[in-house]
Amino acid sequence: MRKIQFALLFALSVLLAGAAVADGSGWDRHDAVREAVGDATPQLGQLRMQMPSVSEDGSAVPLEISIDHPMTDGDYIESIRVFATANPNPEVVDFYLTPLMGRAEVSSRVRVNESQTLYAVAHSSSGDVFVASSDVRVTVGGCLMTSDDDIAEFGQPRVAPPRNLAAGQPGEVRTLVTHPMETGLREGPDGELLPRRMIDTLIVEFEGDTVLTVKMHTAVSENPYMRFFMAPETSGNAVFRWTEEESGDTVEEQMAFNLS
Amino acid sequence: MPHTEWVLIAGLILGLLFGAVGQQTGFCLLRGLKNRWVEGDGRKLRAFALAMAVALLGTQALAVLAPIDLGASVHPQRTLSLLIPIGGVLFGLGMVMANGCGARSLVLLGTGNLRSLVVLLCLGIAAYMTMSGVLANGRLAVEGAVQFRLPAATWWQWLASLGMDGQLARWLVTVVLVVLLSAYALANSAFRRSGRDLAGGLLIGLLIPAGWWITGVLGDDVFDPVRLASLSFVAPIGDSLQYLMISTGISLTFPVAVVAGIVAGSFALSLITGGLHWQGFDSPRHIRRSVLGGVLMGIGGVMALGCSIGQGLTGFSTLAISAWLALGGIVLGAWLGVRPLKSWVSP
Repeated sequence: MRKIQFALLFALSVLLAGAAVADGSGWDRHDAVREAVGDATPQLGQLRMQMPSVSEDGSAVPLEISIDHPMTDGDYIESIRVFATANPNPEVVDFYLTPLMGRAEVSSRVRVNESQTLYAVAHSSSGDVFVASSDVRVTVGGCLMTSDDDIAEFGQPRVAPPRNLAAGQPGEVRTLVTHPMETGLREGPDGELLPRRMIDTLIVEFEGDTVLTVKMHTAVSENPYMRFFMAPETSGNAVFRWTEEESGDTVEEQMAFNLS
Repeated sequence: MPHTEWVLIAGLILGLLFGAVGQQTGFCLLRGLKNRWVEGDGRKLRAFALAMAVALLGTQALAVLAPIDLGASVHPQRTLSLLIPIGGVLFGLGMVMANGCGARSLVLLGTGNLRSLVVLLCLGIAAYMTMSGVLANGRLAVEGAVQFRLPAATWWQWLASLGMDGQLARWLVTVVLVVLLSAYALANSAFRRSGRDLAGGLLIGLLIPAGWWITGVLGDDVFDPVRLASLSFVAPIGDSLQYLMISTGISLTFPVAVVAGIVAGSFALSLITGGLHWQGFDSPRHIRRSVLGGVLMGIGGVMALGCSIGQGLTGFSTLAISAWLALGGIVLGAWLGVRPLKSWVSP
């Protein structure tokens, strides 16, 4: 009997230890994360970061970050930045949020080069800092998928508006734009480095006010997908604008939000 | 309810149907080939040919009407490697040793056949070893070394590249193959009288376009598309084992739902019809044969990008050229196992 109890206790402690690994601890071992945290002492365990633990092919790994935190003018989450410390460039994507979003929850799809721990750092307007982390294991792919000849062009913006919209209630918005997100680090079929071509930002405005700014880095997947919330108080027009780095070309999509 | 959940529910139903039909009709490529070669009874083989015809017609009609771009699935690829036919041969050999392919083993497991449990465990582990585990780097290295490029990914696109109208080429190839296959199947009066084999060929054939419809239409979402696929049983058996082990870290997918459905469907029908019989191994040699058979099917199936169902019906239904190489390899492997290597693969 005592042996069984001991075994149970041991199993429980192993489980708890496992749960403690991915709460954001260890952030101070990485320069990029340390710089993003700044001088503050971050709070662990409140920011949630969800990624699949195993990914076959790391070129588009789903990422979701959320936190239960007020989004009012007085106190709101103003930024969420994501870092992949073992990628060639640790910066993944930066979200600059506003109270107009109503809820601090964002998702995207990102590139993860090898098995590693990813970190998210969130700052609130009142000066609190939150850190979360997620362990991702990347394995080689199962299919022979060699992307054939088609190179994606910048364009075809797609926006899915919230399903039911009520004044001041956060509604889910999903966006996608076609773009190769070429990092400049990859070789083409002829062995030459493919030139860098990236989207710099996605800016979302509602009736002239900025709702969300997303700064993209090389680890954002091809055809960037962004999911977030908007909580308009009145009916109005939203503008979604993607801007390409270097060329400065933009692609824009407008959408009317009609509150019932 | 999000579209991904509809896909899972539909996948489970698809699996239940496959399990029930497979349990009742004994639909199986290996059984068909063995009966044909050893006893001269071609009914089960003709059932497979009928399923190929139905799957091809249904899938091509769906691709045009829905429409679905089948090019987004793994089968129609221009860059192929010699591992596809070689993997097919290994799979065919393994199928003879294990006395049934992956799908058949799932159906048999539902009837209380515990030998197929061993086959399935070995198949799933060997598939993942080859796909992303200890054999993966070797596979990728060899794959890169023996690659070649086809003029087109599918037979009809190849005709189209020679100057024929695309739609005309698609239907010409489809109709010719459907007529040939159904003529072969239905020419035999013993097959026409065998309701069980007729139903098996027809229903299993229909489940292939149903699978395409589930992932290609139900699962179609601009922002979060489900991976386009239909029935296939090598990686999905590995996926199912992986899901059992690490479900907290990964999400449920269509292939896993299908696998679960097949075992459940076959088991349910066995309970209802009284076909549930627990069976095990007769001898250690028998275990060895099942283990080796499962391992060969897992390794070969990943190299060939599919099994007798995954390439023979699903891949074939896309008119992909790769499916012919894989199916040819599987039939050759089965022939080697049944004839020249008989003493080596039998207990």
